[in-house]
Amino acid sequence: MYDVNNIYEAFSIEEAVRLKVEHPDAKIIAGGSDVLIQIREGKLAGVDLISIQMIDELRGVSMLPDGSILIKPLTSFYEVTYNEIIERYLPTLGYAVDQVGGPQIRNIGTIGGNICNGVTSADSAATLKAYDAVLKITGPDGKRTMPYLDFSLGVGKVDLREGEILTGIIVPKESYERTYGHYIKYAMRKAMDIATMSCSANVRLSKDLKTVDRFRIAFGVAAPVPTRAVSAEAAVQGMPVGEALLDTVSKAVLQDLNPRSSWRAGKEFRLQLIKEMARRCTKEAITKAGGKI
Amino acid sequence: MKINCVINGRTKEFEFDPARSLRELLVSDGHFCVRDSDDREGFAGSDTVVVDGIPVYANLMLAGEVDGCEIRTPDGLADGRRLSVVQQAMVDAGVVQSAYNAPAAALLLTWLLENNPDPSKEEIKDALSGIFIRDAGYEHYYLAVKLAREKIASGGYTSEIAPEFREELSVVGKVKPKVDGRQLVAGWKSYVEDRVEPGACALVLLRSPHPHAYITKIDISEAEKMPGVLTIITCENCPDVFYMQAGQGNPEPSPHDRRLFNRKVRHVGDRVAAVVAETEEQAKAARDKIRVEYELLKPVFTVEEAMASDAPLVHNGVVEYRAGAPENLDEYNKTADPRDGKVIYQFPLHGDIRHNIAAAAHGKIGDVEKGFADADVVIERTYQTSQIQCTPLEPHVCYAKMDNDRLVIHASTQVPWHLRRIVAWVCQIPENKIHVIKEKVGGGYGSKQDVLVEDLVGYATWITGRPIYYRNTREEEFIANSTRHPMRVTVKMGGRKDGSITAIYMDVRANTGPYGNHCLTVPMNACSKTLPLIKCDNMKFDVITYYTNIPPTGAYQGYGAPKGTFGLMMCMAELADKLGVDYMDMAKKNRVEEGYMLEILKGLGEGREGNVVPVGSCGLGEALDKGAAMIEWGKREVSVDPDWKIGKGFAMIQQGSGLPGLDHANCDVKLLTDGTFMIHSGGADLGTGLDTISVKMVAEVMCVDMDRVSILSGDTDNCNFDTGAYASSGTYFSGNASLKAALDLKTNVLDEAAYQLGEDVEDLELRYPGEVHSLKTGNVLTYAKLSHDALTGTGRGQVTGKGSFVTNDSAIPYGAHFAQVAVNVRTGEVKVQKFYALQDAGTPINPELALCQMYGAALKSIGHSLYEGMVLDADGTCLNPNFTDYGVPMISEMPDDFKAVLLDINDAYGPFGAKSISEIATNGAAPAIGVAIHDAVGIWIRSWPFTPEKILKELGRM
Repeated sequence: MYDVNNIYEAFSIEEAVRLKVEHPDAKIIAGGSDVLIQIREGKLAGVDLISIQMIDELRGVSMLPDGSILIKPLTSFYEVTYNEIIERYLPTLGYAVDQVGGPQIRNIGTIGGNICNGVTSADSAATLKAYDAVLKITGPDGKRTMPYLDFSLGVGKVDLREGEILTGIIVPKESYERTYGHYIKYAMRKAMDIATMSCSANVRLSKDLKTVDRFRIAFGVAAPVPTRAVSAEAAVQGMPVGEALLDTVSKAVLQDLNPRSSWRAGKEFRLQLIKEMARRCTKEAITKAGGKI
Repeated sequence: MKINCVINGRTKEFEFDPARSLRELLVSDGHFCVRDSDDREGFAGSDTVVVDGIPVYANLMLAGEVDGCEIRTPDGLADGRRLSVVQQAMVDAGVVQSAYNAPAAALLLTWLLENNPDPSKEEIKDALSGIFIRDAGYEHYYLAVKLAREKIASGGYTSEIAPEFREELSVVGKVKPKVDGRQLVAGWKSYVEDRVEPGACALVLLRSPHPHAYITKIDISEAEKMPGVLTIITCENCPDVFYMQAGQGNPEPSPHDRRLFNRKVRHVGDRVAAVVAETEEQAKAARDKIRVEYELLKPVFTVEEAMASDAPLVHNGVVEYRAGAPENLDEYNKTADPRDGKVIYQFPLHGDIRHNIAAAAHGKIGDVEKGFADADVVIERTYQTSQIQCTPLEPHVCYAKMDNDRLVIHASTQVPWHLRRIVAWVCQIPENKIHVIKEKVGGGYGSKQDVLVEDLVGYATWITGRPIYYRNTREEEFIANSTRHPMRVTVKMGGRKDGSITAIYMDVRANTGPYGNHCLTVPMNACSKTLPLIKCDNMKFDVITYYTNIPPTGAYQGYGAPKGTFGLMMCMAELADKLGVDYMDMAKKNRVEEGYMLEILKGLGEGREGNVVPVGSCGLGEALDKGAAMIEWGKREVSVDPDWKIGKGFAMIQQGSGLPGLDHANCDVKLLTDGTFMIHSGGADLGTGLDTISVKMVAEVMCVDMDRVSILSGDTDNCNFDTGAYASSGTYFSGNASLKAALDLKTNVLDEAAYQLGEDVEDLELRYPGEVHSLKTGNVLTYAKLSHDALTGTGRGQVTGKGSFVTNDSAIPYGAHFAQVAVNVRTGEVKVQKFYALQDAGTPINPELALCQMYGAALKSIGHSLYEGMVLDADGTCLNPNFTDYGVPMISEMPDDFKAVLLDINDAYGPFGAKSISEIATNGAAPAIGVAIHDAVGIWIRSWPFTPEKILKELGRM
């Protein structure tokens, strides 16, 4: 028995927003895995739930007329991984969410839930940050969009205001076009474990594949929230492909990140991981892009 | 809310609270095999069901979400009593052992094959990546899928399941379905939780938030008034009876150092009060009303803290001895604090609680100082093991009720008779008032050798007269159960340049935590299951065990051996390295061989003088030779990625087969009136196939098919005494008792046949399919006719056989485990690329089950070496009391190339030449991997687990 006060079911976005306004302390439940685990841990005892599971308009992946990719929040990890558009244009994201749990979780866990929980270790987070994802949000005052970069406010806190729900995740064409990415989840064990550190990088090379035209790199668990390492991105802009570039990335990322010590891993160890993962992730992305290191 | 759904093809309508989980809905509908083993953590997968064609955790779905859905549960797979192809393949492959998750795994594999009839290894791995299997490893799950595919394609199996042994025997050493495999894989009633009747009351525990404190006041007045409350038991009203929870032989080699509830709490999670109420909710509500005041004491957590001169004392009570009290005891007790209770030794264990010492042992052969003086190189190294948890999928659980004036206990236990004795002692009632029914055990691994919940549930039932069901939460499994004793093992070893070892000294300091469960025997085992591997004339050991305030410890598969083996084999490898000798050459040169007298055992008895025996059957040499060839010992492997360095290692291992001179097993077998057989065995099958062994003994001796033999075991009313399934005793002791019973029955059947046929016994033989045949006259008498005529009113009565087995002979299993690892010098990651477990089990009676147990134990011990470990904060609170954070290995952590090899060695004393198989397989991984890490990157990691962080530190990378 879950310690739940009331469960409200929404069948449309408008209804969900209305319910959220009426019950400001209620939690949105989509796939349910994360919220139910939090209730079990006693963190949300006696909570009201608003189930948005029946809102089919919040499900699926599509390409917008301008070439952007729209991922709706109720799309399960499994559906993201095996979606043709994702497989073709954003395989790094498909791979990243395939690192979550086992099939029982990947079938019910949703990408929207993954980023709305505001957990720094969320497997989709680093990749969506690195692809400059833009979030579509609907609230009582209408719709707004915001960069995912600014969405994370703190541990477990995201920029959803009263009555607002996430309705779409957009990856702009500019972010993925001619871009190659790589994701590394570093965990003590391969499956069913929480990342000790995660890194997602993507790169667009010049036509001759010799220099970096555009570079993005983001980390999970390297700071209280999933974080893009903008200093590192700036540092390698226009740099020739080579070992020196990897050294630069690996040093520069440290300026943007602030991992902490916990019983799982010490800060020093996490810093070492950050350096190595930045290097390896960048190298893999460049290799996928056709660059030679 | 109204919920309409289809379950296993049947349309159902429920009126159900939508905030309850889907699992609760399904269980309410009778699908009890949709189980919960992780308290809704979404990890272990016992609650896996398929909803609208996709597998989900039923605990993590609300019942309200399945309105309109189609649901499949594991119990829908079998067609009535006929298993599905996948279920049968799992039984045949040997993966159905303690089997708590076997039904869920069968459902996942069925789902996989329906959607993908030809899955790759990666796809099978992915399908099983969200289900935790601790008993059988995962290796034979791949085989089960293969077998199922073969059966679907061609109607039969073409793959070999396991090698078979002893051509002259018909069922022993052959692949035959485990006798209880069907009920376990199909999800039929098997476990304690399946026996609970409506109306059972609930018991919940209030546990200490402090690691070390006196309870100064406990107020239950408000709680008692709460609705539904039947009784509340605390230190103020519990029996003033001291006892020991460890299920060991009587008198126990562990001190009686606790009551049901103590005035002093000694670890975070220690019992403070038990509330029995009509429902769990009521019990929990009442628990919240109990007010406790504590006087906090400084805790000690490590051996070093416990041995400090000004250390707080974990037990400072009155010491008593049932036998062998020292003369100065009154003087010793002058400083005792009565609030600490008592520590009652059954006989001297060389404890000194005023210095936090629970037990100690010392012994030697030869002269180690002389041996060190004779050495070219002497090294001394200290190795540290961590606190790890058995993590049985089925937590500790008990259902007790009254039957007239008798207490009936449905138990998940390895020790039904010790359980009866201990509960009788706690309740202060005679044993005839107690009936223990051992149900199927959903994972024990040693933790169910200890009577950790039945003591309290039995007592609560006895005083209330009400049926009571209790089940540990997963967190309680971690903080209030039994774990591996953390140990500090210092090994000093001397060697000559020719590779010979001149002297060994082992100094074992063990941490027993708050109570002395197995406090002498586990640490001694670190020496008694390791030093006898080595031919060395000068050996000495000191073992000291300390009380501390960590969560409790106890028995865990391997007992002390994994820790001792880690120390001894790592030190041998370090010595070889210093001497410039090949470690393999050194192992071969110094290993024992058949006939070598094990003098060192004299000082290694369990509280008495040990039994010196020669090495019997021994596959150590073959294990080393074969393993070295398989892993290509000496060949340097190079990774294409320069960040990854590859190395190889191995370890020699041994265990015992029960405790000769201490253990005792009994078995009866009856010839039924139609010529079939019923066995009553004291042996407590904990999922490993002991019942199958007993059935095979009788089928083999009586020349009948196994399905003509049935068994009831581990039931204290209906079977005779057995010390229990621990110390690797099942096959050797209980199996030998079954064999003796079968042979006795054979004698009695031949005797009855001679009488009925009027022939001489010498002329008669038993033959398949179940008859007596006269070699002289050609007469044939079927067992059915023989039995019928013996019982027709003119006959001589029921023909039975009886076996009682004790021995002083040892059947020591040997082996060697090999590992090849890759170590990333930049991130510290360790990948186990190859793991080969080679073992001499004598005649493996159930070869497919034996292999799966080796895989399970090896994977578990890879987990202990690389990932697992309980982490305590400064106040003794466990920070990771759940599966995810604790770090058990799953299918993704399996070695890329994983092989278990059964060496063909016959033993003189085991039943049909069998020795123990499973427990030993936890001993090798840590030193094998540790040596391989050194071979790869040149560092010695001397503490568990070998984390990337430690490796990078040793490499000087941070």
